[in-house]
Amino acid sequence: MFTERFLRNRRGVALTSEERAALEASIVEVRTIGPRTTIIRQGEDLSISTLLIDGFMSRYIDDRKGLRQLVAVHVPGDFVDLHAYPLKALDHDVSTLTSATVAIAPHVAIDALIQERPEIARKLWFSTLLDAAIHRVWLFRLGRLDAIGKVSHFLCETNARLSAIGLSDGRRFALGLTQADIAEICGLTSIHVNRVLRQLREQNLCVFRSAMVDILDLPGLERRAQFDPQYLYLRKDTGSENGDIPA
Amino acid sequence: MTEQSYEQPCSEPGKANAEQGMVILDGPDGVAVTMTPDAAEKTGQSLIEAAGKALRQQTAADQ
Repeated sequence: MFTERFLRNRRGVALTSEERAALEASIVEVRTIGPRTTIIRQGEDLSISTLLIDGFMSRYIDDRKGLRQLVAVHVPGDFVDLHAYPLKALDHDVSTLTSATVAIAPHVAIDALIQERPEIARKLWFSTLLDAAIHRVWLFRLGRLDAIGKVSHFLCETNARLSAIGLSDGRRFALGLTQADIAEICGLTSIHVNRVLRQLREQNLCVFRSAMVDILDLPGLERRAQFDPQYLYLRKDTGSENGDIPA
Repeated sequence: MTEQSYEQPCSEPGKANAEQGMVILDGPDGVAVTMTPDAAEKTGQSLIEAAGKALRQQTAADQ
């Protein structure tokens, strides 16, 4: 199943088996893409959308000097560029961060899906609204938090998102990103991120080493990050304390 | 909205540290900047000059 992680453990949008089968049927191709590969350029005409099955992807905007700001990070189960379904073009580039497997859904197939099953439209809409909620909190993170808060918040958010899809046990998860990636997410330099990660380790809050994140003190890290997962609209019985979460 | 909910001038100083041959400035209010030592020195001088000018403005306003 390519769509098993789509909207998994989100509030009020569980897909029925029929809806999931219909969504699966809209997929025409599955591709594996190498790391650091840009798959969509800002402004290009689009007639497909991309569901991330495995790996991490990003949306980003480069400034005139070529310095990059990541404006979103996507985890498995995310419909990365569903925004392109109504917009037909994006205002940013989309790239893989790690090696990634993606499923391609043509917009004509999504048209048919929505016409046949209107309830799926609400669930797809929910998916893009979830992206918007995450964007709002990224603005808060970048505008209000100090360097340790920014990095802590990103790690708490990623832990919660990965817990929802069974890729974190609530304390430990694989994160194939570099310190430079985290710098581009948090608007910091790599040197600053390196210092922050050392501080988090020294304060026994979190260790990020060899592409693994170990959260040593989750309540402490969440406090430091001012992290409140409400904006992720997770099911009430899901939580990072609970380990693997049933689908 | 409470009276203090909008941005106020910072009364807490930022903290600068040296890291890997660069100067890192943390806070206040989310400020997080990495500078070369030369840029940090010039920023420091500029801050001191601006602080002196701001103090003179406050003194003039009080008179």
